[in-house]
Amino acid sequence: MIDKIVDPEKLRHFPPGGGKIELYWLYTSGKAGNEFFRKLREGKFIAARCKKCGRRYFPPRIFCEFDFSETEFFEISGEGCVEAFTIAKLDLNENPMEEIIALIKLEGTDGRILHLIGEAKDVCIGMKVKPVLKKVDEMTGTISDIKYFKPV
Amino acid sequence: MPAVVGVGYYGFNTNTPDMSWKEIMYEAAVRAYEDAGIDPRRDVDSFVTCAEDFYEGFAIFDEFVPDQLGAVVKPTCTVCADFLYGLATAYMQIESGLADIAVVEAHSKASDMKTFGEIIRHAMDPIWLKGVTRAHPYYFAALEMSYYMNKYCISEEAIAEVVVKNKGNAILNESAPYGAKLTVESVLNSPFVFYPMRKIEIAERADGAIVFVVARDEIARKITDSPVWIKGIGWWSETSSYDTRSFEALYAYKAGKMAYKMAGIEVPVKEIDIAEIDDRFAFKELQHIVALQLAGKFEVCELMREGYFSRNGSLPVNVSGGNLGVGNLLEATGAQKSLEVVLQLRREAGRRQIDCELGVAQCWRYIPTASGAVAVFGV
Repeated sequence: MIDKIVDPEKLRHFPPGGGKIELYWLYTSGKAGNEFFRKLREGKFIAARCKKCGRRYFPPRIFCEFDFSETEFFEISGEGCVEAFTIAKLDLNENPMEEIIALIKLEGTDGRILHLIGEAKDVCIGMKVKPVLKKVDEMTGTISDIKYFKPV
Repeated sequence: MPAVVGVGYYGFNTNTPDMSWKEIMYEAAVRAYEDAGIDPRRDVDSFVTCAEDFYEGFAIFDEFVPDQLGAVVKPTCTVCADFLYGLATAYMQIESGLADIAVVEAHSKASDMKTFGEIIRHAMDPIWLKGVTRAHPYYFAALEMSYYMNKYCISEEAIAEVVVKNKGNAILNESAPYGAKLTVESVLNSPFVFYPMRKIEIAERADGAIVFVVARDEIARKITDSPVWIKGIGWWSETSSYDTRSFEALYAYKAGKMAYKMAGIEVPVKEIDIAEIDDRFAFKELQHIVALQLAGKFEVCELMREGYFSRNGSLPVNVSGGNLGVGNLLEATGAQKSLEVVLQLRREAGRRQIDCELGVAQCWRYIPTASGAVAVFGV
C-alpha cells in the first residue's frame, strides 16, 4: 500500500526521451564572492561586518540584509562548529550515494557555511571542524575549492 | 469580506498519463464553475493562476493560461508562488473594487517531471550552495530537521506519529493516493535516506488541479447559501540566505500573525477548530503547528503522542491526510489545504467530517525557502 508508481513512463509510452531544457548560465559571484575566492587561493577566509550594526556575515556580502547598509571585509580562521548534519544517501536522480553534509557555524562570525564533512569516522552536533582546500592549481573560483571540512 | 463560493478539483493521483496539465486545469475549472453556478465567460472579472515556470517545463506560464479556464480576452495574471498567494491577490482585487468575482487556480503535474531533484537544485544559490553536493535537495530539509530536533529535543517518535496520523487520515479521503495503516514502530524501523530523516517522512509527489471561485460579500450571499469567508490572509518571507535564517519556520509564525490579526483571532489554539498544515516533510508539521501558535514549542511532541491533533482530537491537523497522505502538490499545496478546510466548513467532507466553524490553511514554499502563507476561513 505504501509503494506507488510515480513515474508515468512505467505505465505507457511517451515520446522517447521526453522533453529537454538545455540552458546554460554564467553565474557572477559578485564583489564579495570574488574577494572570497581570491583570498581562498592564499589559504585565507574572509567574512563581512556591517558598518552599522556590526553583524558579521558569512558568506561575505557587500550589504547588511537587516540594516540595508554597507559592510567591510575581515579575515577569519575558517574553523567552525557543526550545527546540524545529515547523511545523504540519494543523489539528484534518487540513485544511491553517501555523503555527510553539515551546517557549520563559523568562528568569529554570526554566519554559517553549508559543506561536506570528510575524514570523519563519526559526526555529531557541536563537533569542531576545519576546512580542507584544493591545491591552488586545481582551484576554479567556486565553492568546491573547499574540498570538505574535517574534525579538528 | 470576500468569500469562497465555489470549489472544484481534479485528482489527486500519483500520476496522470491520460491527461495533460492543461486538461486537468480544465476539469477542475468546470467543476468549480458548476459548484458556484456561474458562467466564466459572463460572470468572472479576473483570473489568477499560480505557477512556477521551472515546474511546468516551459517559460512564461501565464501566456498558456486563459483558454482552459474560460479566461480568453479577460483580465488574467499568474503569481509565481503557492495558491495561497494567488488567493491573497484575488482578495485584494476584490477588496480594491477591481473585481466582483475572481477565480484562483493552482495545479501540480509533478509526474511530468523527469528530473525533480535537478529542478529543485536550481532553486539553490548558484555561488554558495549549488556546487557543494550532488545529493538530492531533500538533504536541505534534513539539515533543518537535524537543527530543529536538536534545539527543541524533538523525538523521533513524535515525527513518526505525524506519519502514522496523516497516512491514516488519508485512508478516509478518496482523493488521497498515499493513505496507509502504519504503526509508530513500523515507521521507526523504516530506512533512513537522509539521516535523521526516513524515506517515509518525505511526501511523495502527486498530480492534481484546484480552482476556487471567490466573490465580493453581497454577491457571495446572492450566489450561494453556504459562503465560506476568507477572514484573514497573510504571507511572509524570512531570507534566502541559509546563514541568517532561523530554521524554525519564522515565516509561518509571521504569516499566521498577519492572518490572525485580520481575522480578529487573539488566542489561535482556543479559536481554531481545524488546521491543514504543510507537512511535506513530517517534522515540518510539528514546526508549523508551533509557528501557528497551536501548541507550545516544548509541548508539541507530547500533544502529538496524546492524539490532540488526530481526527478525533481537540484540534485536528491534516484531517485530509496532509501532504504525506495526499502527496506533494507543489504550488497547489496551499490549494489542497484550503480545499479541505472549505469542504469541512461546508460539511461536505463525508466520512472524515469533523465539527468546525473556523479553520486555518498554511503552506510553505518548499526547499530551499523560508517563505510561506496562511489563510483563515470561517462560516
